[in-house]
Amino acid sequence: MNCPRCQAHPVKPTPRARKIALLGNPNTGKTTLINALAGSHLQVGNWPGTTVERLEARERTPEGERVYIDLPGAYSLLSSTPEEAIATRALLEDPPDALLVVLDAGNLERNLPLLLEATELGLPMVVALNLMDEARAKGYVLCPKALETELGVPVVPVVASRGEGVAELKAALDRATLPKPALTYPPAIERALEAIEAVLEGPARRARAALLLAGERVPAPQVAKRAAEAARAELAELGIDPYLELTGARFARARDLFKRALKGHNPRPTLTDRIDRFVLHPVLGPALFLLGMLFVFRFTFLFSGPWVEFIGRVQEVLSGWTWGLGLPPLLASFVSGALIAGVGTVLSFAPVLFFLYLAMGFLETSGFLARSAFIADRLMHAVGLPGRAFIPMILGFGCNVPAIYATRTLESFGDRLKTALAIPFMACSARLPVFALFAAVFFPKHAALVVFGLYLTGLVLGLLTAALIGRIAKTEPASGVMELPPYRWPPLRVLLAQARVRTMDFVRGASGPILLAMVLIWALLHLPPGPIAQSLYARFAQLLAPLFAPLGFSDWRLVGALVPGFIAKEVVVGALGVSFLGAEPTPALGLLAGAQDLAAAFLTALKETFAALFALIGLPQLLPPAEAPAPGLAAALTRATDARGALAYLVFVLLYTPCVATLVALRQELGRRWAAFSVAYQLSVAYLASFLATRMLP
Amino acid sequence: MRRLDELTPGEEARVRAVQAPGRLLRRLFALGIRPGARVRLLRRAPLGDPLEVRVGESLVALRKQEARDVVLEDEG
Repeated sequence: MNCPRCQAHPVKPTPRARKIALLGNPNTGKTTLINALAGSHLQVGNWPGTTVERLEARERTPEGERVYIDLPGAYSLLSSTPEEAIATRALLEDPPDALLVVLDAGNLERNLPLLLEATELGLPMVVALNLMDEARAKGYVLCPKALETELGVPVVPVVASRGEGVAELKAALDRATLPKPALTYPPAIERALEAIEAVLEGPARRARAALLLAGERVPAPQVAKRAAEAARAELAELGIDPYLELTGARFARARDLFKRALKGHNPRPTLTDRIDRFVLHPVLGPALFLLGMLFVFRFTFLFSGPWVEFIGRVQEVLSGWTWGLGLPPLLASFVSGALIAGVGTVLSFAPVLFFLYLAMGFLETSGFLARSAFIADRLMHAVGLPGRAFIPMILGFGCNVPAIYATRTLESFGDRLKTALAIPFMACSARLPVFALFAAVFFPKHAALVVFGLYLTGLVLGLLTAALIGRIAKTEPASGVMELPPYRWPPLRVLLAQARVRTMDFVRGASGPILLAMVLIWALLHLPPGPIAQSLYARFAQLLAPLFAPLGFSDWRLVGALVPGFIAKEVVVGALGVSFLGAEPTPALGLLAGAQDLAAAFLTALKETFAALFALIGLPQLLPPAEAPAPGLAAALTRATDARGALAYLVFVLLYTPCVATLVALRQELGRRWAAFSVAYQLSVAYLASFLATRMLP
Repeated sequence: MRRLDELTPGEEARVRAVQAPGRLLRRLFALGIRPGARVRLLRRAPLGDPLEVRVGESLVALRKQEARDVVLEDEG
């Protein structure tokens, strides 16, 4: 009778569209719409060959899986930014099954040219007329049916943030159809397009011909490129600029479409206008801006702090349990000192990144980020950076890792490069314990001045670095032209989902390198077993020590502590303690005592998170009270070097290398080469600056 | 010949030509700053630069130097 195979795998109707790409201008709510369509099954990655974030979401439907891909926001397929070029390339090289064009209903006329361009791609299409609520608030009465008639594709009014119209949109996606020809160009342009189309093969011929004719670099066979060049030359002789003609025709048609869809307009002042009167006010604006920056900084670090501490406690308890198992000491030490400590280090960045991504997501979606860029632009432009670089730089003083991820909000790779390479010079909070220790021991009367001087040195060198990188990498400075999007209340669900996937992305990428570094450093410190003075670590440090003689510190214990400082700079203090005073044994913990510890630590973290809600408004504590150094360590340090060497050591610790987590962030954002460059560059700068510092003291 | 950076806050004018180099021209066009469009200077940033312009329903920020490339129709 029936073939058993067919029964096991009943034939399902193939869905019309499995892969759907979302195309739209920036700030049209594409990410919110994806979230509304597919729940929170978001995934992030990078677009191939770039460090631009690629977001997609999968939805299970009765007919099978559907994938939504968020293309970078674009005003046109004719790119004016690298992000727009990515959208164009993705559509041409890996075309989706259907295109979902997302329009801002409250700014329809400007959104329509991209839609018209997209009709030339030859892809089944559906249009989401998003932000209908804003359009109504601006006094627009729109008729989606009129657009549907003109374009021949489903047009669905939507309010993605509230889920309105999303069910209708999903249903419409099954009816995605090829649009009617929507555009005609002047005769000379039509002839040129046809000549190029004649030598093109495959899909999207009209779109590719138009891109080639406008001089855009798109993948095409040589013969087509030659045809385009010939057509351009011919038009140039007639004094015709194909870019102006193509866009001119689209703008004119967009205006016509807009008029057909517009049933009434009763202009009203918007909320955005009213808010901007304060936020961009000549006096009030900068004050609110500084308050806002302070708020982001404190939000990120105050809320994550208790959880970082909690992870530290978990680490201690797990180590205690390990020691309580009765394993051979070397094995117990490996498990607790390398594995548990490594995983703990990776995880301790997760809360910081999570809260940073929440804060940045809020700023970006709400419209405040663009305003802060507007206010800071003049200031940052003086050192060749855009206004948007201000927030990442400031965050660097808390922790370099989230600061580098915050550079994603910058528009051009050149700007991201300059900012990200400058950030490791910002004295992050992990460097403070080292500063505090040495300042207290060697400069007891001027401790605050020394620490302040170090912060300032880092800042100045960071800004100089940005200027220098701009010169040597010959990056094109990004233009100052940007849209100030309307203020919007970001949907919390989307912010949380984005923060979660981005944090997980870091944990996945950072686990390997950080664990590896931990294992290596553990091996240096503990092999061969015995006192630390005979370890590989001591021998390695003694080998390096003469290199540092010109800097005034050549004690192997001082030099050696720089190596574990690569994990996190605060580790330098612990390493100094171990090598000068000997290691304190980790106390073994019973199962019950450990569990009690964990429960108590969890409650403390919860309590402190709530307390942070109130502390957010308080004033920041610039210098936390330094703990008095162990007297033994202070005496040992003064025997190991003098004030001059100590200052050089501090400058070196400030500058010498990004820590391993920062390096992971640099690699993810800039690529391997630039990450390697930053290590070499910072080591050189640190050596030079330390040397100069020794000359400064009498 | 007046240029966009010469408007006073609150003043409106029609764009006659955009004399910007390639990418900048495309960016300005994409945001609606193109011949025929009506632009209104809303304000200058607290430090004097950049400028904020309204064109249609869009609010656009651009630096003074970039605004110099936008030539306006003479009034009257």
